[in-house]
Amino acid sequence: MKKVSIIQGAGAALLQPNIDTEVIISVERVMRFKRGELGPYCLEPLRFRSDGSENPTFVLNQPRYREATVLIAGENFGCGSSREAAVWSLFDRGIRCIISPSFGDIFYTNCLQNGLLPIVLPIEEVQRLAEEVASSIDPAMTIDLVAQRITSALGRGVPFEIDAGKRKALMEGLDEVSQTLKLAPAIAAFQAADRASHPWIYEGVARRSARVLLLAGDGIGPEIMGEVRRVIEWFIARRGLNLELYESLYGIASWRTHGAVVSEEAWTAIRAADAILFGTAGSREYLKIPRAQWPAEGMQRICKELGLFANLRPVRISERLSEMSSPHQETARGTDLLIVRRLAGDADMSTPPGVEQLPQRGGRRASKTTSHIDGEIECIARVAFEMARVRRGCVCSVDKANGRHAATRWRDVVQVVHDAEYPDVDLRHMPVDVATMQLVGAPRQFDVLLTETIFRDIVSTCADMVGGAIGVFPSASLGIAAADGRRRGLYQPIHGSWPDLAGKGVANPIGAILSFALCLQFSVGLPQEARMLRQAVDAAVASGASTSDLTSAVPAMSTAAIADAVLAALNQLEQCGSEPAASAA
Amino acid sequence: MARTLFEKIWAAHCATELDDGVALLHIDRHLIHDLAAGPALTELAARGHLVRNPELTFATVDHAVSSAPGRHTDSSPLGGKLLRQMRQRTAEAGIRLFDIGRAGQGIAHVMAPELGLSLPGMLIVCGDSHTCTHGGIGALAFGIGSSEVMHVLATQTLRQRKPASMRIQFEGTLAPGITAKDLILHTIGQLGMACGRGHAVEYAGAAIRAMDVEARLTICNLSIELGAKMGLIAPDDKTFEYIASRPLAPKDASLENAIGCWRRLPSDDDASFAVEHSIDVRKVAPQITWGTSPQDVIAVTDRVPDPDQEPNPLHRRRMKAAIDYMDLLPGAPIAGTPIDWVFVGSCANGRLSDLRLAAQVLQGRKVAANVRAWVVPGSETVKREAQAEGLDRIFRDAGFEWREPGCSLCVAANGEAIASGQRSVSTSNRNFVGRQGPGVRTHLASPSMAVAAALAGHICDVRQLMA
Repeated sequence: MKKVSIIQGAGAALLQPNIDTEVIISVERVMRFKRGELGPYCLEPLRFRSDGSENPTFVLNQPRYREATVLIAGENFGCGSSREAAVWSLFDRGIRCIISPSFGDIFYTNCLQNGLLPIVLPIEEVQRLAEEVASSIDPAMTIDLVAQRITSALGRGVPFEIDAGKRKALMEGLDEVSQTLKLAPAIAAFQAADRASHPWIYEGVARRSARVLLLAGDGIGPEIMGEVRRVIEWFIARRGLNLELYESLYGIASWRTHGAVVSEEAWTAIRAADAILFGTAGSREYLKIPRAQWPAEGMQRICKELGLFANLRPVRISERLSEMSSPHQETARGTDLLIVRRLAGDADMSTPPGVEQLPQRGGRRASKTTSHIDGEIECIARVAFEMARVRRGCVCSVDKANGRHAATRWRDVVQVVHDAEYPDVDLRHMPVDVATMQLVGAPRQFDVLLTETIFRDIVSTCADMVGGAIGVFPSASLGIAAADGRRRGLYQPIHGSWPDLAGKGVANPIGAILSFALCLQFSVGLPQEARMLRQAVDAAVASGASTSDLTSAVPAMSTAAIADAVLAALNQLEQCGSEPAASAA
Repeated sequence: MARTLFEKIWAAHCATELDDGVALLHIDRHLIHDLAAGPALTELAARGHLVRNPELTFATVDHAVSSAPGRHTDSSPLGGKLLRQMRQRTAEAGIRLFDIGRAGQGIAHVMAPELGLSLPGMLIVCGDSHTCTHGGIGALAFGIGSSEVMHVLATQTLRQRKPASMRIQFEGTLAPGITAKDLILHTIGQLGMACGRGHAVEYAGAAIRAMDVEARLTICNLSIELGAKMGLIAPDDKTFEYIASRPLAPKDASLENAIGCWRRLPSDDDASFAVEHSIDVRKVAPQITWGTSPQDVIAVTDRVPDPDQEPNPLHRRRMKAAIDYMDLLPGAPIAGTPIDWVFVGSCANGRLSDLRLAAQVLQGRKVAANVRAWVVPGSETVKREAQAEGLDRIFRDAGFEWREPGCSLCVAANGEAIASGQRSVSTSNRNFVGRQGPGVRTHLASPSMAVAAALAGHICDVRQLMA
């Protein structure tokens, strides 16, 4: 806000009482024009006649007062609606000071917020100033905020009162928000005490907490999840994150301890969780365990227990990441897409895949089918559209719609859901071969990709390789949104367990850390914190945090050192305040 | 020390005292709407600030959205742009959005109390002057400008100088057929549109105690038209009963605990007010505005005032301009003035009890041929509950258009406007020049009066229809 000290210019009298903010600026103009453009529309109903011609008797239409900087106004000026645009339009018109016997309460505050000086004087004085402006040869006045003195058009001095704090703020052009942010500790202290004395204000609908279960899993799982835990603890300590965090064994470690890949206690914890942060699964040890206990089956059961059906694969390729890892640097840089696909389930096979003998023809037939049950396509399509609505508004639905009945139905159903429920989102359809070609050649064009289940791995793996290294990508498997928008979820990095690296402290934890960011966004309902974490990861990567899987061009850091870099970046962000929204999402 | 209801809530929200008698107040509920939310959140992000407490912020779609049946995002083109921006920005911040087609959507000052987001003793703000409405539930609530909206988003506080306390006592019992809307319009007519400026107004007295919560919300809604940005009514058992059934309100032990605290809110017996007024409600007749301010109001049995009788030259000029704009005859009876439009809705009178009252008058009758009549329920909940009671059928059968929840014709920010020169009777709260469209002549009234005018084709006394 610009500093205010001396205002000079013509005074114009508009003594009509009760000029409301609708007369000052209409709501339609506010919606069509930005601040800075509202000058021509100020006081329209008074400036123009019903036939659209200028009203020559209106004070600001008269040549003598056209360039007025001081408005001498009647009682109750600016009553009515709270629209701050009323102040902007007067300011855009050139008015820098309004003198009135009284102002609408909200309008008065709005003036001060915008460096437009409102002065209250008794009505007799206001009328006298108005008379002087009319009778003087030159209607010029001077308003001295420093000396708190008006010099009227006839040179007469008139002192005025104004709140000392408001005067100071105007003279120094202070930004109130920055000033108040300095009082953050007092605000935090008040909230802490208030939560105790008036808990109902902060409970129920206003609560943001979650039960989060850590399942480290096999291979490099435990060491990367150890780093994720450090990041979680930072958010708890420094950002007041309200999480119930607990941990269970999963996989080979659980088998060794409990005789089951997932113990009964673990199942209890799983069922109670709002979110599961999963490490990695996979080990040669499974060959010694019955197949039914293998990770894939365990994962399916977890997803079923929690009602998870939508798998999300965000692929964000920052500038630094594209330099370090991608063979397609130029085209990949700036990619920010989200793949949405239904989690595989039993229903995806209408008949079990198998091999049958063909007695008449001889030989065998191997077959595998795919199917969609009513409701399933709609469900996952809605997730894609909901996601797109709060991103860049575009969904590309990937199918293979030539000659396969199931695929045609996919396209039709997605289109129907779009037309009926999300006409504001852009939808296009793309066959999978074109989609993979476009992902390699021009990935930045995509916002949300919705793929038929059968293509899930093809599209996502292709997208991952555009990024060049799979160590850094997260994933989320989500359930339906509750009324407050939060979803239960299972979050895990997309890479495997790399048994050969286990225990060496060299695995990249970024995929797992970014999976926690997804958890913050979807299950805890704190997208600002999620964005802060992503910014910290980007900053750490940009400053060189790298493991050998990303590049051999810079020295590889250990798992712990990468997490150190992310935590250092988080500290930095918290101290300086977050970066503007224009940067990394 | 004896304190008023207002002083108690103010004191409980003082996070710290700043220089010069300005307090830093903590905000319990910040409501944001489609006209301002997207731009405010975008500006906040551009300045590098986060929303401090997204969980205490609630967004709804009301001002710029179309009310047309089957409306969608782009039914109102300008509204569509704002809605898109609002969806993106509230998602980024983690602010709960009550979007169109979803449960809970509606006019901010209708949906928040009915959902149980607004509670007694709370400090509630919104970038809309009619935020004073929530005072009807015993909260301290007021409207703020865009800069203050940003301040609340970034800090969850506001810098405010404490206004003085005013009390308006309403004694007696309202005559049959006379509503809260008539009472508050009458009060503004008596006390003037600048009466409450610089004050927080408490409405008290037997007539207030007798009102149900929705009627109290109507009373507080027009506080700003009295010049008071804050207006409150002490909570009582009626309030607590209302809240107990709200879906997002505290429950069980938490509610018991809260009620224990709320019972201590009403003004102490020996508390003093800077200004006191008294209104005898028994004489209040159905009201109708004649001019271009809510204070330009008379009983429907009265005549349009004669400016020549007004001694003050400035006021006389204003009256002349108003009568001229409204195309009325000084001294002529207001009843009988033919009308073109009737609008039932808005944060003043868009609630279920309002629609029930209006439907009672409508039952079995038909809207006059020369009148276009809209009824816009204040929220998805109001709409759904009204439909469950068959009220929509009553309105439609009579010739009203039954529309989708939003502010609609009250403020005409969604492209829906009445044609220039036409005359409407509206249950909203502002009849300023051009409010419902350039050149539109608005008469404010209660829902039953609005419906009576729709049936007759002209302004008339609803009591004649109910005899």
